[in-house]
Amino acid sequence: VYYNALMPLLVGFLQATIVVASCFTDMETGPGAGVSTQPNGDRFKIEGRAIVPGIKTQDWVSAARVLVEGEEYVGFLRTDGSFAVNDVPSGSYVVEVVSPNYRFEPVRVDITTKGKMRARLVNYIKTTEVNRQPYPLQVRANGPHSYFMKRETWGWTDFLMNPMVMMMVLPLLIIVLLPKVVNTNDPEMRKEIEQSMNMLSPNPELPDVSELVTKFFSGSKGSSKAGGSSKGTRPAVKRR
Amino acid sequence: MAKLILLCLKVVVLCGTVEAVFEDQVGKFDWRQQYVGKVRFSHFDTHVQSSKKVLLATESNVFAAVNTRTGDILWRHVDKTGPEGNIDAFIHHGQDAVLVVGNGRLLRSWDANIGGLNWEVVLDTGSYQSACLIGQQDNVKHVAVLKKTVISLHYLFNGHQKWIENLPDSDTVDYQTVYSSGNGEVYAMGVVPHSHIAIVAYSAEDGEIIKQITVEAPWLSNIKSSCAVIGKGMLICVDVATVSLYMLDLHGESQMTQILLQSLGLEVSPGFHPVLISTQPNPARQPLSEFFLQLGPEHYPLLQLNNGQIVTLRDFNPAMQVSFATTGEKTVAAVMLPKNKTVSLCKSYRERVHLYISMLFACSINLYSAETGRRLLDTTVTFNLDPNGGKPVKLYVQAFLKKDDAVGYRAMVQTEDYTLTFLQQPGRVMWTREEALSDVVTMEMVDLPLTGTQAELEGEFGKKADGLMSMVLKRLSSQLILLQAWIAHAWKMFYDARQPRGQVKNEVTIENLSRDEFNLQKMMVMVTASGKLFGIDSKTGNILWKRYLDNAPSNAVFKLMVQRTTAHFPHPPQCTLLIKDKNTGLATLHVFNPIFGKKSHITPPALPQPILQSLLLPLMDQDYAKVLLLVDDQYKVSAFPSTKNVLQQLQEMASSIFFYLVDSSQGRLSGYRLRTDLSTEQIWEVVIPTEAQKIVSVKGKRPNEHVHSQGRVMGDRSVLYKYLNPNLLALVTESTDLHQERSFVGIILIDGVTGRIIHEAIQRKARGPVHNMLLVHCGFIKCTKSRRNEFSVIELYEGMELYNSTVFSSLDRPHAPQVLQQSYIFPSSISTLEATLTEKGITSRHLLIGLPSGGILSLPKMFLDPRRPEIISEQKNLIPYAPELPIRTEWFINYNQTVSRVRGIYTAPSGLESTCLVVAYGLDIYQTRVYPSKQFDVLKDDYDYMLISSVLLALFFATMISKRLAEVKLLNRAWR
Repeated sequence: VYYNALMPLLVGFLQATIVVASCFTDMETGPGAGVSTQPNGDRFKIEGRAIVPGIKTQDWVSAARVLVEGEEYVGFLRTDGSFAVNDVPSGSYVVEVVSPNYRFEPVRVDITTKGKMRARLVNYIKTTEVNRQPYPLQVRANGPHSYFMKRETWGWTDFLMNPMVMMMVLPLLIIVLLPKVVNTNDPEMRKEIEQSMNMLSPNPELPDVSELVTKFFSGSKGSSKAGGSSKGTRPAVKRR
Repeated sequence: MAKLILLCLKVVVLCGTVEAVFEDQVGKFDWRQQYVGKVRFSHFDTHVQSSKKVLLATESNVFAAVNTRTGDILWRHVDKTGPEGNIDAFIHHGQDAVLVVGNGRLLRSWDANIGGLNWEVVLDTGSYQSACLIGQQDNVKHVAVLKKTVISLHYLFNGHQKWIENLPDSDTVDYQTVYSSGNGEVYAMGVVPHSHIAIVAYSAEDGEIIKQITVEAPWLSNIKSSCAVIGKGMLICVDVATVSLYMLDLHGESQMTQILLQSLGLEVSPGFHPVLISTQPNPARQPLSEFFLQLGPEHYPLLQLNNGQIVTLRDFNPAMQVSFATTGEKTVAAVMLPKNKTVSLCKSYRERVHLYISMLFACSINLYSAETGRRLLDTTVTFNLDPNGGKPVKLYVQAFLKKDDAVGYRAMVQTEDYTLTFLQQPGRVMWTREEALSDVVTMEMVDLPLTGTQAELEGEFGKKADGLMSMVLKRLSSQLILLQAWIAHAWKMFYDARQPRGQVKNEVTIENLSRDEFNLQKMMVMVTASGKLFGIDSKTGNILWKRYLDNAPSNAVFKLMVQRTTAHFPHPPQCTLLIKDKNTGLATLHVFNPIFGKKSHITPPALPQPILQSLLLPLMDQDYAKVLLLVDDQYKVSAFPSTKNVLQQLQEMASSIFFYLVDSSQGRLSGYRLRTDLSTEQIWEVVIPTEAQKIVSVKGKRPNEHVHSQGRVMGDRSVLYKYLNPNLLALVTESTDLHQERSFVGIILIDGVTGRIIHEAIQRKARGPVHNMLLVHCGFIKCTKSRRNEFSVIELYEGMELYNSTVFSSLDRPHAPQVLQQSYIFPSSISTLEATLTEKGITSRHLLIGLPSGGILSLPKMFLDPRRPEIISEQKNLIPYAPELPIRTEWFINYNQTVSRVRGIYTAPSGLESTCLVVAYGLDIYQTRVYPSKQFDVLKDDYDYMLISSVLLALFFATMISKRLAEVKLLNRAWR
């Protein structure tokens, strides 16, 4: 059953890879050589439009730029938010609209030697994966940049929901409320409680934890006192 | 399940390392200054009468609008660097600003109001010559662009091409300028050097050639530099050889008339090529018939062309700059005249009075009517030129009509050191912009000196002891001074507290500079490419001193060294700037005090030989100045300072002084040793064959870098010791073959003393640009590989035990270090790379990465640890390997204060171990503080004092009350 379920998946995957490969046969020859060997070859234009929802274009275009492959090619935004990066040779580029205040997703644009354009999602891990995007580019800002951390503010709820406080408060509540809920005057109840208490401490010979701790501390105090006194005596000896 | 754990782990780790700015900290510790660069073209926005804009196009390929009231940038567009973004021409008309960019490749029109692009068109190939506006019947609708072989006309409205025509005989004629006077004709003017002028008139409507003239002019070689169109289409050229003007009527004649300058009573300064300065106030009309003819560096006669006769209206000699300005129908000539005066300045500093006598160059600007040459009343602006600045090189005047119809004006003066000064009547400096700071080459941060009183105290211990009584008296007096200072301080605090907030101004001036408690405020000494030095207060960004080195060559390379810090009180701090001419290799030294910017009275040695290398030794002379060694091309070494003491020390130390030289053209890296007679011997050499690869960069460790921990604790409690070699050099090479399949980037780690190659790694199928950085035991490189940027980290470890734990010696290290290497994908390109630096190196380190988008990313070093496991292991503090490094906007230390074209990041330790001072410079300068491990040694600035004190008080009262209650209870029990 497991094998049967896997089989179509595998086939599907194979198909996908074949499709990707066939998509890219024309690409690889073009852009691969294009970047380095033909500086005077044909130049193309990357076009698109950037939109910041809810903001007038004139309020943000003057601070924004279009960067192609870092700062290799630079384009500017028109007053209506559209842009065109001129003089780009064929190749594969990451196109990014940068604005100090709004966040845009980068897009990868492939240009063949014949000038055919294609836009796809940027995937740095699998650079050959094709996830088509519309071309001319439609870049929509997905909100303002979040540059700042929120300050930790102090509130009563934070204080109360603190695990330490919860650990202190809940037992307190139990101690205060339990005797009121359970009628301790009932002799049967008392017997039951006594029994359960015995169950909790099955070995009465074992020393109590609190006792142990007090013993330990008093003991260590004693030893440290002894150490101190010995230190104190040494200079006295020297003085003589 | 495993995935869930992994996710949890990731979240925990990320939360632990998140370090970001809080919103209320904006502008508290950081500042940014934006620049545009050296101005090439400037136009005032006169479209609207009340406009407060000046448009600047600069040599840094920046186009910006600056507010004329405040000097702040309204908007700015940064194009790519290099010739492809070069602004060739700037034509301003109404609201539109048309730029020709990239040697005539692009024509762009900007909306001057909001700073958005109107349109951009690609022009035909061909080198750009000239451009002008074409008007018809007082309407300007077109712009003409003249190239080497073609002339084209474009609509101003949308950039579409109206017509394009080939220029006749463009293979012989060198067409240089285009001119139109608004009568429907466009003139393209060219010259065949030393033969004739060719003028072609086109119809603006359809590009038809109306007429073609050739005029003999065997004396002319360049139209652009020696000709101008004046008045009713009169081409006037100036010839130096015959000392005369030539006139040609574009509409009729085919012969040039010669007018001897002597006949006008004018003379040309020897060796000066005269320049014509004309003006065409409206592109749809003729140029004015008045023009300036610059005959010498400071000689500008105002001439007028009147019915074919040239008349001298007024002779300005000496005059520093001239300029025309038009408002409405009136055109005025603004002339800047020198006015020398000697002023004595008294300055009190540290209770001593210094008397400076300095020459202040005062200037005055006057307006003259262009038509008559008469001076306009009440138009004088007098101002002082900065004695530490340069000479004025350009004058821009914005004229406007006052209510009473008189002409008023504002002026912008550009000086040699790229400074813009904006002046208003009567002589008020509205603002200055130090555009030299747009191109910072190198910088250092210097500790500020102690306060006067502290210094006084220090001085007490510095002096030689002279008797018990005087020492006691001195001590008492210094205590008294301290008490006095404290009282004064307390009084000031009290006084300030009573003032309403906002009125208290803590102006930092050079007089009250002093170090703060944690040494967070420092002096930034910045060296700019123009040869101007700046001293900037790191806390506020105020420029405290500036100095223009007018003797610095234009292609100089600079190296700034701090020879003496402020720690040696009676001796002033001392910085040395090595200025080296890139072509000849000849160098000069400029020694100065970094706090006050004053040139030191110490005379630096003359350096007759080209300098190959300079190194600052940790040795000090008797005055606590570090020794600077300079190696010349004969491999001889000279020391500065070169006192007897120093030479003696050098002789003793010589056997342990090694240095290296890089010759990237020959692909050679060689190591040298100093001999006792200050000559050198070569001890090793690494040759990288230049046919296959070229050396891109060589980097060593920074001298003030510390590593606190010698090792790393592994998962099984054993220690992996770091290979801490201070002599390590990282050499990065790039292949000369740029083909994608064959290109590679190599990194070689070399011991600088022995020349031993410690590690060599190659990234195949990778290409530059490569950025590399070397921390003490790890190197980082970044390169481009198969369409993405990769980051590689190499770390060197000695192994589980140290060979010699007390001291590191390059000569005695038998074991090769273990090399760990890992690569990651970085989802952005990188402009520059630097690491944080703290006082003792305890704080964990972050990488500061300047991105092209303008952000400065602070990436924890933890993400670049080559021990990051691919599977979950028991090792703590290691993030599981992920191929892609995260970029989170919370890690941008400069939030939305982007720094354009980051060229360098400078990091300096502060007095607090947790805090590192960061300065990023490029086109802008940004200063901030970073806390890579958060602020563990000071209370946070949001520390809630109120809460703590209220809790304490509440506890106090609670104990009081419960004590009382307990007493009552005890009493009651006793009674029972």
